[in-house]
Amino acid sequence: MKLLKDIFTDKYTVFAFRLLLGVVFVYASLDKIANPQDFARIIYNYKILPSFLINIVAITLPWIELICGLFLIGGIFIESSSLVIFFLLIIFIMGTSINVFIRGIDINCGCFTTSLEAKKLGGELVIREIILLLMSLQVFLFNRNFATLPGFYRKIFYRWLLK
Amino acid sequence: MNQKTSFSNILSKAIIMVCAGSLIGILNNTFSQKGIKLVGTWGNRTISDSVVVPHNYEPEDPEAVTLGQAVKSFESQEAIFVDCRLKEDYHLGHISGAVSLPWEEFEEYYPELTTALSEAKEIIAYCDGDECELSLLLARELADLGYKNVKVFFGGWLEWTEAGLPVEKGS
Repeated sequence: MKLLKDIFTDKYTVFAFRLLLGVVFVYASLDKIANPQDFARIIYNYKILPSFLINIVAITLPWIELICGLFLIGGIFIESSSLVIFFLLIIFIMGTSINVFIRGIDINCGCFTTSLEAKKLGGELVIREIILLLMSLQVFLFNRNFATLPGFYRKIFYRWLLK
Repeated sequence: MNQKTSFSNILSKAIIMVCAGSLIGILNNTFSQKGIKLVGTWGNRTISDSVVVPHNYEPEDPEAVTLGQAVKSFESQEAIFVDCRLKEDYHLGHISGAVSLPWEEFEEYYPELTTALSEAKEIIAYCDGDECELSLLLARELADLGYKNVKVFFGGWLEWTEAGLPVEKGS
């Protein structure tokens, strides 16, 4: 049990989860940024937002994802980024669960791509989102600023000072 | 970091990040060629003779029919019903006599149906109902291909089954 805890709170685990989360969010945001109209359609299909909010969310959400993703990869404001991602994932999980388990309808998921052939919504998607949610929580709780860009530059700066 | 950052500090940075992201998004949208309106028009609307159509239904689109009109065409046996949903959904149940032409795999299944479609006096496309728009996309495509008398039954599978009308399973 202690070993498990050590592995889970290890700085390398945090780092791995941080990178993975960052890449997933950056990747997920790019297609949405490129095709706002298609992404708006997907949000509309989820039928959880009032229609006047659909476009504005389609315009802003991908950029929030992109910034958080890049910050996680680069190790900038790690806690804040993982916190935002944590809340986004909670909203995503509620949205997909309402559609999968309550409505039971088959709609375009819109998580990684905006094409119509994209994966259909399913329980699998909810599980994936929950795993990402746990990762963001882990990063938030156990981050020790290992391998970050600011740390890297600070090191270079000190080295330069000591010369 | 020597000191553990306080939660309010983390939270305020998070809020700033969300605001900055939103601002960048709005700015990008304003100057992007692919930009969309900040407030769009979504949802169903009702056109003349109380047919409910999706928001992107245009006046020049194939005629939309109500459940009553669909039933009339069904009883006349001169109309062909085209199911635009996925194959799996079609196998689970469809309007009796309907043919399957999933919009997502149009190219694959369309050639098999050319004779049946050209012999029909009336083509009625339907999908799930409840704001589903595959039927509209398919009807537009068929009309573009030159078929006459293409119609869309937006009520779809949902209205049909709720009314207890004839259905069948399998292929």
